[in-house]
Amino acid sequence: MSRRLTHTLGSLGQEILLVVVILALFAFVGVYNPRFLSENNLTSIFVGNAYIAVAAIGMSLVIISGNIDVSIGALIGVLAVISGLLVTNGYPIWVAWLAPLVVGAAINAVVGCLIAYARVPSIIATLAMLSILSGGLITFTGGQWISGLPAGYQLAQFRLFNVPSPVWFMIGMTILAGFLMRYTTFGRSVYAVGSNPEAARATGISYKATVVKVFAIHGAIGGVAAVLFATQLQVIQSTVPVGLELVIITASVVGGVSILGGVGTVFGSTLAAILFAAIGSSLIFLNVSAYWLRAVQGILILATVLADMARRRRTG
Amino acid sequence: MTAMTRILIRHEAILGILFVVVLIAMASQNDRFLTTANLLNQARLMTEVGLIAIPMTFVIVTGGIDLSVGSILGLCAILLGVFWQNLGLPLPAAIGLSLAAGTAAGFANGLIVTRFRVPPLIATLATLALYRGLAEGISQARSVRGYPDWFAVLGRGDFLGIPTQLWLFALVAALGIFILRFTTFGRTTYAIGNNEAAAEFSGLPVERTKLLIYTASGFISALAAIVFVSRVSTTRSDMGSGIELEVITAVVLGGTSIFGGRGMVIGTLIGLCLMQILQNGLSLSGVRGDGTTVVIGAVLIVAVLISNLLSRFSSD
Amino acid sequence: MTPILELKNISKAFGPVKVLTGVDFDLRPGEVHALMGENGAGKSTMIRIAAGDHRAEEGEIRLDGKPRRFAGPREAQGEGIIVVHQELLLFPALSVAENVFLGHQPKTAAGLVDWGRMRREARDLLDRLDCPNLDVDQRVSRLSVADRQRVEIARALSRNARVLIMDEPTAALAEADVRRLLEVVRRLRSEGVAIVYVSHRMNEIFEIADRVTVLRDGVSVGTRPIAEVTEASLVSMMVGRDIHQLFPKEDIPRGEKRLELRGVSLAGVVEDISFDLHAGEILGIAGLVGSGRTELAQTIFGVTPATSGEILVDGKPQKIASVREAIDAGIAYVPEDRGSHGIIRAQPLRENVSMAILDRLTKFSVVDTGREQSLATDAIKRFSIRARDARQRVGQLSGGNQQKVVLAKWLATEPKILILDEPTRGVDVGAKTEIHRLMGELAKKGLAILMISSELPEVLGMSDRVLVMREGRLSAIVDRKDASPAAVGAAMMQGRREPARAGAAR
Repeated sequence: MSRRLTHTLGSLGQEILLVVVILALFAFVGVYNPRFLSENNLTSIFVGNAYIAVAAIGMSLVIISGNIDVSIGALIGVLAVISGLLVTNGYPIWVAWLAPLVVGAAINAVVGCLIAYARVPSIIATLAMLSILSGGLITFTGGQWISGLPAGYQLAQFRLFNVPSPVWFMIGMTILAGFLMRYTTFGRSVYAVGSNPEAARATGISYKATVVKVFAIHGAIGGVAAVLFATQLQVIQSTVPVGLELVIITASVVGGVSILGGVGTVFGSTLAAILFAAIGSSLIFLNVSAYWLRAVQGILILATVLADMARRRRTG
Repeated sequence: MTAMTRILIRHEAILGILFVVVLIAMASQNDRFLTTANLLNQARLMTEVGLIAIPMTFVIVTGGIDLSVGSILGLCAILLGVFWQNLGLPLPAAIGLSLAAGTAAGFANGLIVTRFRVPPLIATLATLALYRGLAEGISQARSVRGYPDWFAVLGRGDFLGIPTQLWLFALVAALGIFILRFTTFGRTTYAIGNNEAAAEFSGLPVERTKLLIYTASGFISALAAIVFVSRVSTTRSDMGSGIELEVITAVVLGGTSIFGGRGMVIGTLIGLCLMQILQNGLSLSGVRGDGTTVVIGAVLIVAVLISNLLSRFSSD
Repeated sequence: MTPILELKNISKAFGPVKVLTGVDFDLRPGEVHALMGENGAGKSTMIRIAAGDHRAEEGEIRLDGKPRRFAGPREAQGEGIIVVHQELLLFPALSVAENVFLGHQPKTAAGLVDWGRMRREARDLLDRLDCPNLDVDQRVSRLSVADRQRVEIARALSRNARVLIMDEPTAALAEADVRRLLEVVRRLRSEGVAIVYVSHRMNEIFEIADRVTVLRDGVSVGTRPIAEVTEASLVSMMVGRDIHQLFPKEDIPRGEKRLELRGVSLAGVVEDISFDLHAGEILGIAGLVGSGRTELAQTIFGVTPATSGEILVDGKPQKIASVREAIDAGIAYVPEDRGSHGIIRAQPLRENVSMAILDRLTKFSVVDTGREQSLATDAIKRFSIRARDARQRVGQLSGGNQQKVVLAKWLATEPKILILDEPTRGVDVGAKTEIHRLMGELAKKGLAILMISSELPEVLGMSDRVLVMREGRLSAIVDRKDASPAAVGAAMMQGRREPARAGAAR
């Protein structure tokens, strides 16, 4: 039993490390500037970044399957605008909440087909999608923000047991996805396809079907993230946060999802997203310019990737 | 002519015909299109993307990719401004240092790819974040203006009636064609893309070649930064963001296989021109700037689909 | 007794190349049926047809006496026909238990993966295979080759294998592991599993098989009960001719010493190797796969530089830390894995032939294509390579002609020492003879040749001396006059419990 425990701990290595780092960061910045730990700030850290954690769950699936998606940021922007336009044009609020999930799944299913059936490498297919979606978005909206959102639309402002709804979404979706990945045959075939596509084929797992499903699910999760993003404020920005896709990918990779596919859990990516949010916030409280945030993220992702490669070389 | 180049030429022939068709279509749509002034101006606008596309052809022929070129461009632009204005160095010295910084950034990419064996996609995705982050951190979102008049000659002046930077581009392109087509270095580049292990077993300097190619990619990106700054006579930290997409599109459109092993600089040049006149034609017929990025994305996917189709016919 | 599986009059061609012609094969429940033949005889194609991976153009497959067509490997697996592949198809990042059950995991009532049952059942299967120490939660990437193979067999059993096809299962195993594997095979046989056992190793065949079928050039030479054959009769069935007829070895006077190894080691792989090689000599290296033969060759060639010891070329110590330095020292290496290390399929013959001497074909680093072209056309003539012209892509040539291209590439470096690793693997009979003749010619011209081969007849027929390797060490050097299959075979297996019959057969 103890052997099993060490295995579990071993496979959770990255997750535990992240928890430790997050706690250390909170402790360190909290000591330096106690206002960092105020309820207000903690709430804003979680509420403002939960959608990133949610999107990183889908990204983890994609990377575990041995692919990558650099268009997710643009997709979130497009889906948020779709949601806002629906609700301001008189559609019921629940339609505006659900439509992004469906549209996201549909768009990414097409991308998945390009990758699986037309053998377009995922980096190229999603780079192209990034261009199409972001260009299309600005052309369509002309950069105008959507306002006049009806009351009751702001899903992200709801609270349950005094905990903001984005936090519930983040936790709930992480558990749901973790369950999906561990206890369903689909989840296991995602690992199989990412670990050894050739062997997966010999086992009777369809690479193509698995990749299309992964991308569709990723798109639907992106839809959830988009709704959380759209319903944070009283207006919807029709531009995509610059480099959002990179933050999401970084969260997955730093969370322990191996860039070479087949390894990782969704718990790590959620923790990593929390870590980034905390780092972003702590820069302010440490009086460091927020303009260094991206550089810090770059160093983090690079360090994680190098460590991943070194670990692989050691264990073979 | 080898069997391989015969096929490439076929791809280029298709591309060439397409180019002429688009040219005629655009010219018949708008009489301002087919004028020397417009075409030269388009060539001027194309130069930065074009410069970077030359080493990118080499990178993709080896089976790699460099996503960090836009960030290197941004970083070098910022450094140019910082060295000149903040540190008070003479402008030529600032240019030299900026070029050196770009070269170093490319060299770092090469080291991560060759020594640490990180897949190029992930390595340069990480440095994309890092270099852009450094640019943002160093500049603190301040732009630098007021460059001397002589510096503007490079980006806005003419030499013998032709935009100055076009001479530079012609030189780099000619060098690229020559090296890839006729030298042992070029041969090694193809060999790496087709079968890296066999290249190593034949005693070819695989690591050194890759390292040099990524370094050159960094250097040329810095060069493009200088041209860019001279053309718009200002530096901002978001310069060149997303340029990697245009560069990769041009290279792939030009018949270089994204899987490595085949491709020519000539093809890249045709791909570039096709993209530029498409954009120009669209904007002349009233499509806004962002709409053209949609077209680029779509063209990228179509280009890869066609190249996949062609390679299926030509496979053994 | 009705055979479980029967192949009747099976024929298969890939394009113009006929791989199997009218092959018959039958497998009874509870027997181990050995399948033998030289490389390229059609064994793997036959296995793939039986496993539903390829479809035969002619003939039929009968399962339990009834004709059956398999649309794909999954259908064959559904009938309990499972292949344990030579290159193990596992998922390195996943646990042992999951590798065993991937694709058919035990489920709970709610349709979810039942990890508890999966681990327990994996445990039971591994116990059945007599590996109580193998942890079901361990990641497969951390397992040894032998353990991975056990996982693969457990996987086959988990699918209720009735027919287990084992493709060279002992190729990469150390002696102790081979013992244990044979035990497992016996146990499975006693449980009624029918086993197709593909192997080159004679003593294993004699120890484990009930019947043996020999393929040669895509035709079945015959099926015999094991008691009716001897090692010698099997070899002549496989080769079809007498060994000495096949290898016209000339006597060439031994020249001066070209290469000398003094205590060369590659930590953990090759230990303390010393020998010398003379001009005009062909030194064969025999040994099982995994005995360190290829690793030794690649150490001499600088792919994996030696960690200790000395390599002397023409009597002078030579530092060889890279392939480039080896080439400069006059060493050439024709690799075992032609596809991934020898040729570049997508590039023309001309560019393949010049690849190792590009630096000599250039002026100011510009490739002299004129000289390159004449080099290539000369090579086509000299080695009678069947190619359209020097511009034809190497991927379009047959295996034998590809091998000649690799030979041409390395002879262009004008080496003093030529290392040939499995020079005739995957090469048709005609090209094989040509390559052997060429080796003789080269030796006559004073080249020192080191030849690795898994085919004992080739080693014995071509070599002046035979160097035998076992577990990374030199176990014997045998002179041509003393080199009998028994002597060399004994040195290859030394330390292993020999079955009495295999020894007596000589």
